[in-house]
Amino acid sequence: MNGFIAFVASHRAEMAARLGEHVLLVVASTAIAAAIGIPLGIIAARRPALSKPIVGFANLTQTIPSLALFGFLIPLPFIGGIGTRTALVALTLYAVLPILRATITGIQGVAPPVVESAVAMGLTPRQVLWQVEWPLALPSIVSGLRVAVVIGVGTATIASAIGAGGLGDYIFRGLAMVDPTVILAGALPAAALAVIADGLLAAAGRVADPRRRSKGGVAMVVALSLVVVAGAWFTKGSASRADVVVGSKNFTEQVVLGELVAQTIERATGLKVERRLNLGGTAIAHEALLSDGIDVYVEYTGTSLTAIFKEPPANDSDQVFNRVRERYAAVGLTLLPKLGFNNTFAILVRGDAAQNAHLSRVSELAGVAGRWTAGFGYEFLERPDGWPGLSAAYGLRVSGEPRVMDLNLIYRALAAGEIDLTAGDATSGLIEALKLVALEDDRHYFPVYDAAPVARSTMLLEHPEVAAALRRLEGRISAAEMRRMNYAVDGERKDPAAVVRAFLDMIGGIAPGE
Amino acid sequence: MTAIQFSDVSASRGSRGVLHDVSLAVAAGEVVALVGRSGSGKTTLLRLVNRLLEQDRGSVLVDGRDTREWDPIELRRRTGYVIQDVGLFPHLTVAANVATVPRLLGWDAARVGARVGELLTLVGLDANAYAARWPDELSGGQRQRVGLARALAADPPVLLMDEPFGALDPITRAELHGEFLQLQKTLRRTVLIVTHDMAEAWALADRIAILHEGRIIACDTPARLAESTDPRVMELVKHR
Repeated sequence: MNGFIAFVASHRAEMAARLGEHVLLVVASTAIAAAIGIPLGIIAARRPALSKPIVGFANLTQTIPSLALFGFLIPLPFIGGIGTRTALVALTLYAVLPILRATITGIQGVAPPVVESAVAMGLTPRQVLWQVEWPLALPSIVSGLRVAVVIGVGTATIASAIGAGGLGDYIFRGLAMVDPTVILAGALPAAALAVIADGLLAAAGRVADPRRRSKGGVAMVVALSLVVVAGAWFTKGSASRADVVVGSKNFTEQVVLGELVAQTIERATGLKVERRLNLGGTAIAHEALLSDGIDVYVEYTGTSLTAIFKEPPANDSDQVFNRVRERYAAVGLTLLPKLGFNNTFAILVRGDAAQNAHLSRVSELAGVAGRWTAGFGYEFLERPDGWPGLSAAYGLRVSGEPRVMDLNLIYRALAAGEIDLTAGDATSGLIEALKLVALEDDRHYFPVYDAAPVARSTMLLEHPEVAAALRRLEGRISAAEMRRMNYAVDGERKDPAAVVRAFLDMIGGIAPGE
Repeated sequence: MTAIQFSDVSASRGSRGVLHDVSLAVAAGEVVALVGRSGSGKTTLLRLVNRLLEQDRGSVLVDGRDTREWDPIELRRRTGYVIQDVGLFPHLTVAANVATVPRLLGWDAARVGARVGELLTLVGLDANAYAARWPDELSGGQRQRVGLARALAADPPVLLMDEPFGALDPITRAELHGEFLQLQKTLRRTVLIVTHDMAEAWALADRIAILHEGRIIACDTPARLAESTDPRVMELVKHR
């Protein structure tokens, strides 16, 4: 708890900004969803023939998992890309259903004799709607808004995966660093936000009840809501785009490398750098580059070759690098020199299990793995150079089907004994932190995964000093250095920015004129 | 003078014919009861008057003018409408319910307020005690009184009533019957009242029109109907 308080104290401004982004995402998406869902609900309530397809479509959007929805949206023109816009579209789609349903329920719940009387008294259709149906449906509509907002506060945490910011940044960062304090820094304010927003809307619902309607009450709810939104807008900070936007995927090493690239540019050029770290995977980071959402991030050559360009894996470091550089150049991206380490996959087992079974090589696994359960990240399980190829190359069989697990959780799951075998990053700091053992890839199955920055060529033309600065990182980071930095973050709970600062101070030669 | 004139009216709901060549003239200030079994077409006939429904053939004249020529909104604002379920607006107070049509007609607040007080008194409710109440705080009889006050608010020459006292207990019903007759003596409205209760028709109406399978098989004063030899009429009359 002390750690949490210290974290909050030292990250006050940043937390306020994330909270502000979160509130705006939820408020804006709910408002748009209300603007769509309420009129649609009114139409659907009047025409039952229309209501089935409308509600059906809204139901369908609700069943799409949020990350999958982001995946669909990112390549789309206008509404796609990464960042706030796509997050808003997704959150809006999720918020429409509860509002739509509540509107239909509310309108259809008005007693037929009441509507009949209204019509018979000579109210025009518009007057029937606004003077009779609307006020009577309002409590139901407000309850739909409450559901939408509470769902929105939760779902908006995932917006972080596509660089839209919000409190999810802490949750994903905390998961990547296996640091509950950081997770809490995102989860606690999100929970508080959900409770407060629900309370505010409950108050709005009471004000909407004609029996208790009072001008003071309405004014108070409106004023409170305005304060919340204005506060969020204020703390969110300026929205103007920085000179260079640095991205990273969502695991510790990527965050460290993102920080490394960002600080290198800052030290060498003095340009304004924005960080969009913790993007939700290779595809999202790559799409972000293509759609100008980010300017540069560090990728691994083997990943580019197979996962992005769909070519068969290869083992020659330079050959792979050159091939990938060509493919990137064709889509307007520049692959900068390799940073020095090869983050290939490592087959991991628990240290004590390795000792008991006298394991040090992957080929020795064949004898024991039949009794072991395996769990892998989704990418590893699906990629041709992942589990399918590995199990064929070594003739490996495990007990049952391998489980699909979140990348951030597999190390812990392994350490806790939930699984006995997994594939992790060869440079993961958690290997030491959780007393795991990486088995030697004695048949050289895994291809090379040399880390190298990929940048938008137009940005590099605009800022040639950025290319110059990043070239100076060539070969400066060994696998041991990378593991040490990862461990400093994962094992010693140090701030990635501080770890990178210390590293850059140590290697020197980055600042201009040196 | 004829206030409402049905001429050879046929109407259907969906594909089912409900009214067949119905003709009926209601004089101004007259109370006519429409009586018949469920499905005989009496509610349909009533709703043709304020154009909640429209006939397939024939014509309905209100104040000498075809309902299809009336602006339906204008027609409805000068036609009071009272139904069994009352249909008071639950989100409005008693006073606001009664004030609905006057406000739609753009009366100023002082006139509306005075009219509401006058009407509540007219239907036997203490205006001071009931004006600020909510509909769900009232008994069935009180709700029906408010419904009647609301229907009379803009002084409509025509009053349409569909089973207005059907949901009330016998004592309250008898009480309201008495008050209705009292009111009618002073107001002299043209009233079309649908009921399945022969005794009610007997008590309230100047003339009774008996509907049978979409046709009017008899229309006369209660006294004359009592002498009818038509077995279908005799069957209904004996339940009075």
